[in-house]
Amino acid sequence: MTDDPAIAFDGIGQDFPAPGSNVPLRVLDQISFGVDSGKFTAVIGPSGCGKSTLLQMAAGLLAPTRGLVRHRGRAVASVNRDVGFVPQQAQLFPWKTLLENVELPLLLRGVAPAERRRRVAAALESVGLEGFEHHYPSQLSGGMQKRGSIARTLVYRPDVILMDEPFGALDAQTRMLMQHDLQSLSFEAGATVVFVTHDITEAVLLADNVVVLSQRPSRLLTNIAIEIPRPRDVFEPFRNVGFEMAYESVWSAFRSQVDIRHRLH
Amino acid sequence: MSRYGPPSALRSTSATGCIENGRLTVNNAADTTSEPSAIEAAPPGRRSRLARLGQLLLGLLPGIALIVFWQWAAGRLIKEIYVSKPTAVAQRLYEIFASGEIYPHLWTTAQELVLGYVVGVVLGVIGGYALGRSPRMANVLEPYVMAFYGIPKIALAPLFIIWFGIGVWSKVALASIMVFFLVFYNVFSGVRGVDQELVNLTRVMGANERQLTRHVYLPAAAPYVMLGMRMAIPYSVIGVIVGEFTSSIQGLGLFIHEASATYDPAGVFAGITILLVFVIAANLLASRLERRLLRWRTLSGARPNEI
Repeated sequence: MTDDPAIAFDGIGQDFPAPGSNVPLRVLDQISFGVDSGKFTAVIGPSGCGKSTLLQMAAGLLAPTRGLVRHRGRAVASVNRDVGFVPQQAQLFPWKTLLENVELPLLLRGVAPAERRRRVAAALESVGLEGFEHHYPSQLSGGMQKRGSIARTLVYRPDVILMDEPFGALDAQTRMLMQHDLQSLSFEAGATVVFVTHDITEAVLLADNVVVLSQRPSRLLTNIAIEIPRPRDVFEPFRNVGFEMAYESVWSAFRSQVDIRHRLH
Repeated sequence: MSRYGPPSALRSTSATGCIENGRLTVNNAADTTSEPSAIEAAPPGRRSRLARLGQLLLGLLPGIALIVFWQWAAGRLIKEIYVSKPTAVAQRLYEIFASGEIYPHLWTTAQELVLGYVVGVVLGVIGGYALGRSPRMANVLEPYVMAFYGIPKIALAPLFIIWFGIGVWSKVALASIMVFFLVFYNVFSGVRGVDQELVNLTRVMGANERQLTRHVYLPAAAPYVMLGMRMAIPYSVIGVIVGEFTSSIQGLGLFIHEASATYDPAGVFAGITILLVFVIAANLLASRLERRLLRWRTLSGARPNEI
């Protein structure tokens, strides 16, 4: 293994055609940062700043207008099958049972049946969904669907896991439980995770590094290392030693991007 | 009730068995092709057999009432020469089957229906799928399909008789072209409506184009295929009967045509009754197929509440 970061964003810029205008809308501008192997990196920024766009680039689903995304030194030019993508909505296949959903990536990658069965069982167990193998997604709750979605990503052990506000749509309690489980899962697996969110608490609690983006056109404001020892308590964030300081440092970068006075009126 | 399924407006109606009766009239199957409506859902839960029987009887009641009223009104409110009456129709049905007079007609029409339907569905699925998958091809070809769709297909009947003769094939052509457009538009919009995020996600999971077709596009389009197939059933009947009306040697359409030409309303209704049975049987087959293929949609959400 080289010293290359798992994922490197190198001078990324992105323009989108603006409706009713010849001047394209500049969404991302000169964004550079690396995601180290085995680290959990949170990307945080105001809504509409293009956080998700970065993930799509890392997955090879979108080519940046300017700059380059590298995965372990190799430029990402087409669909990147070495990553796993956990979208905002669970996006399980409604016509497949939970088992078939989680099995699919292995099937697509030509893994042998016996091995498939073993790994699907392990993945379902790790997210606490054993016993629901033959349920269709419509028969599962929102949180369970999300767990299924995560299991479907973990099952093929992607080199990097990209998560796009995965817990945004969940209720508060479910969300805390999911954060808790994700923390232990990714920590145990030593997984490399890029996690997009707009929630500072979530970012600080889960991440080793928090990348803060500005409003459109987004620039990288700062990349803050979070030194809170693990395991962290996601249920009572303020009990974690160093939480307040970490939160403070992220917030001080972030607050310039939020027009507080305007919001108060 | 299912609250999931393809993004566009698939309503679920609780329906089994007897609603087919209500939907029978040939031209009420909604001309909206691009927007799928009514797809069946929700098989009966654990209801007792007795309750289900009661439900069935309740469903039959309007039909029975109609027949009783018809029997009563014929000769009282309206002259029998216009509307015949159920007993006369039954009598006529018995005669044409007993004498064997109807069998050659039945056989011809059945052939035309099945062939026309199958050809139309197959071409519709292939065409709709191909254009749905390829936006570039769709941009070029869709206006043409749209233009042809606008032609009243019935106006083509005389032309098809010239092209394909007065035998079976002109009717097959007419039925299949009517079926084609319905199925085509349903499948086309179904495939086009597949969630792009799901497609991308599957690519990242490692899918190639073939696997994408098998695991994403086909299952996602299945409800639309089924819907198109169901809506197309009455249209295939229209195509065949209109073709037979126009010019034919044999067939139920000819039988009905001749009966009406000889002032034999009982004969007309006997022919229509046979068509009715055709359509009901086809609908039952279709809903059975649908329930099998779309099991995932019809499972009601008995979802556990813990996360």
